[in-house]
Amino acid sequence: MSLPPSLRASITPPELELVASEQLVEIVPLVSMERTAFISGAYGPLRPPTKCKVPLWMASNLKLKKKCHIIPPTWLNVEFLQDRLTQETTLPSFSEMPFRFAEVAKILLDVAPDDLQNPEKIRTLLKDIREARQAKSREGLSKLDPNELILQNLAAMEINEIRPFFVRGMSVLTQLTREPPAGDPMDET
Amino acid sequence: MVYLPPPHLASASRPSYAEAYAKILAAHRRSPKTAASSVIILVSPDVDSLCASKILADLFKQDDVMHRVIPVSGHAELERIRDELTTYTDLHTLIMFNMGAILDLPSSEWFGDFPTSLTVHVIDSSRPLNLSSVFGAGENGDRIVIWDDGGVEHLQEERKAWEVLTYAPEVDSDEESDFDSDEEADEEDDYEEDEEDYEDGHSASPSRKRRSLDDGARRRGKRRKVDQPNRLSREEREQHEHRLMKYYESGTWHGQSAAGTMYILATVLERVDSDLLWYAILGLTYQYITSRISREEYDKYQSIYHDEVARLNPAPPTVLGDDLKAQNADDNSIYASDELRFMMFRHWNLYDAMYHSSYVASKLGIWKERGRKRLTGLLAKMGFSIPETQQPYPHMARDLKMSLRQKLDQLAPEYGLVELSYPSFMRCYGYRSQPLSAGDAVEAISALLDIAGGTRIEVEVEGARNGGEWFGGGKVWEGGREGRLRDDERENVPPDILAQVVKAQVRAQAEGKANGEGGDVDWWVKNFWSAFDALSDIERLREAISLSMALHRAIIRQGSSIIDKQDIKTLRGHRVVILAQGPDLPLFVHPGILGRLALWLVDALRDRANATTPAYSRNKRKSLPCVVACLNEKTGTYMVVGVTGAADFDDFRKNEFGLAFLDAKERCNARTRHGTFDTSVLEINKDDLKVFLETLCEGGERY
Repeated sequence: MSLPPSLRASITPPELELVASEQLVEIVPLVSMERTAFISGAYGPLRPPTKCKVPLWMASNLKLKKKCHIIPPTWLNVEFLQDRLTQETTLPSFSEMPFRFAEVAKILLDVAPDDLQNPEKIRTLLKDIREARQAKSREGLSKLDPNELILQNLAAMEINEIRPFFVRGMSVLTQLTREPPAGDPMDET
Repeated sequence: MVYLPPPHLASASRPSYAEAYAKILAAHRRSPKTAASSVIILVSPDVDSLCASKILADLFKQDDVMHRVIPVSGHAELERIRDELTTYTDLHTLIMFNMGAILDLPSSEWFGDFPTSLTVHVIDSSRPLNLSSVFGAGENGDRIVIWDDGGVEHLQEERKAWEVLTYAPEVDSDEESDFDSDEEADEEDDYEEDEEDYEDGHSASPSRKRRSLDDGARRRGKRRKVDQPNRLSREEREQHEHRLMKYYESGTWHGQSAAGTMYILATVLERVDSDLLWYAILGLTYQYITSRISREEYDKYQSIYHDEVARLNPAPPTVLGDDLKAQNADDNSIYASDELRFMMFRHWNLYDAMYHSSYVASKLGIWKERGRKRLTGLLAKMGFSIPETQQPYPHMARDLKMSLRQKLDQLAPEYGLVELSYPSFMRCYGYRSQPLSAGDAVEAISALLDIAGGTRIEVEVEGARNGGEWFGGGKVWEGGREGRLRDDERENVPPDILAQVVKAQVRAQAEGKANGEGGDVDWWVKNFWSAFDALSDIERLREAISLSMALHRAIIRQGSSIIDKQDIKTLRGHRVVILAQGPDLPLFVHPGILGRLALWLVDALRDRANATTPAYSRNKRKSLPCVVACLNEKTGTYMVVGVTGAADFDDFRKNEFGLAFLDAKERCNARTRHGTFDTSVLEINKDDLKVFLETLCEGGERY
């Protein structure tokens, strides 16, 4: 890769977005198309009034050409996110979110705000959730354990976010707490 | 059938816009080589065609049709492009916006020699249409497709006359063949002359318009002679000829805007959204602001768009007014609004906005001390203090803003300002800008089209008024310089020869400075692209508003000084203004700006004439046509614009200057050139101006 060293440590958010683009979403197509084989698989056929599952990249491409409506996933609405936000702020653990919710939500908010209900509110809620979760993952830093790290329900974007720091922190900790090799004569004196 | 009726008149046997579009797509998908040069869009530099091309480009983009947009400045440029296009082998669709309706396109002079796979679509708002483009059949006629707005339905008589003249043989074949060869020789002359430009203006050439009508018809008449035995009597022929002449000579006017036609296409394709609707509204508003259509026409289309706005946008917030704000960060919606006839008052201060609006200026007589007093008097009566009205409008006291409408309604009629507002639209741009009204957007874009680059102009810096920000004053506008054309050049150059290119550029600049505009030949192409970009980029559009203000400042300044110094000569029923000196000359050589000045003068003088001669005014309601000429010092030519003033504000009269110009040119052998598609704009050699104007006015008596 020809990226500068600072970016080589972990995957960039756009790359994660690209990975998330393979996820399937439901669309209501406005054009008909036969079943077509792509590199990642065969999708279709598109028949205008019937719903169809296609990967997110295809959905956003069609949406930009005004050839489909995207049906937002069940978790991308105000009630669900509000619920998760209260969980997030009241409970100590991470609430359960889809693994790639941040990427999918960003793509949908960018491409198809008119297919979402109240995109403004959704955007604010997502931001709130992200901040609450970010605070938790920072808090988790103090519990950093050299042997294992368990953070349940952490999403892809958040893992990516803490990855560089946590990886280095862990390796430093491992070095510090490494148990002295057994049977060292120096210790016994 | 080579003209397309609008969808509501279409039936199964008469294809309409959608079918034509489907054909373009089909042709594109069928063609083996899909190069970007297979679909070409020619656009004339005005706001309407700009919006139309933007809509079509959006549609093409959605359908993955590769296309190329080429700005074309005028007929001479169009001829050059035509010659270039003959070398494109895979060209199959040519779309022309706001050009070419008057040309005899099926003839071999234009597109007759092209391979038959080429289809030419003409979407032109200017009228009259060339009948052989509209009705011509056969291999050549069929591929010229005129997108009509329904006006052709009323041309049945003309159609009959045209068909009779075209397909029926001449009365006297001897005379006809004589005549024909004459005409052809003449035409060759004429063509050469066009090539050599107006330097060589010794032969009186018949007008292109008339030529395309006359001999186009006659030559085809000859061709058909053999297989059509029934002959016409001389009277019948004359009658038909007369009818056609009447159609062509009644002057030029405008039909539905090209952007409107494109919007209808988007509607039948069911792909409209707020963006496309906004472009269509801009196209319409442009026609209205530049007095191309009457208020009635405007109202007709405005009500259509009003319904569309209601359909595509959320219900407007309850507090509608001049203080409309975007509801949230993503709010790009359009609202219908009543627009005051003040120039960009939301972005300027109230006093300047009123001062620079042509309506207020003409009603109050702003060019005189007394008029300015009347304006301050009106503001004082409304309870607006002068310092307050000098504030930028967004910072004006809130209670004043709230009561502005109501106060104006109460007091303005005293000053004769009865039609202070017109129904229009506003668009929100999230939190990136204040809502922009259609009129303001059109002003900004047309300012960019005319003078985004190539001319030096000072714009006012916000907050720099009254000596604020050190000494006040403005800064030189340089927004247009960062156009994308320059970036493109930079991108495509390999690094090793960059140094040479830079050197060459430096040299070119030095030369350009030495001989003025010569080094910067295609300033208008750059302007076109910066305006094209500004259509979808609110940042650029907002910057352009200050440019437009500077432009209007110059127009008012020039206009006032013309009236003040009484530079207007009245020559046999024409008002003639010649600008030969002054600081703003380089500005007014742009036909668009000169046209605005002429319109301003017409507006201003109409009411003055009525006011000073009240008894006279009843029978002399017809206001005089106005000719404005401006000296271009660099090329030694005059730019001449003719405007027929309508009797009333908001009214409209057919512009008869297109033919009058040609007629006068013919009679006095002036060296002239049509630089634009507007026939009422002419460029004329410096020495020929005087005799030309005299001839023009003499000829004008006939009308």
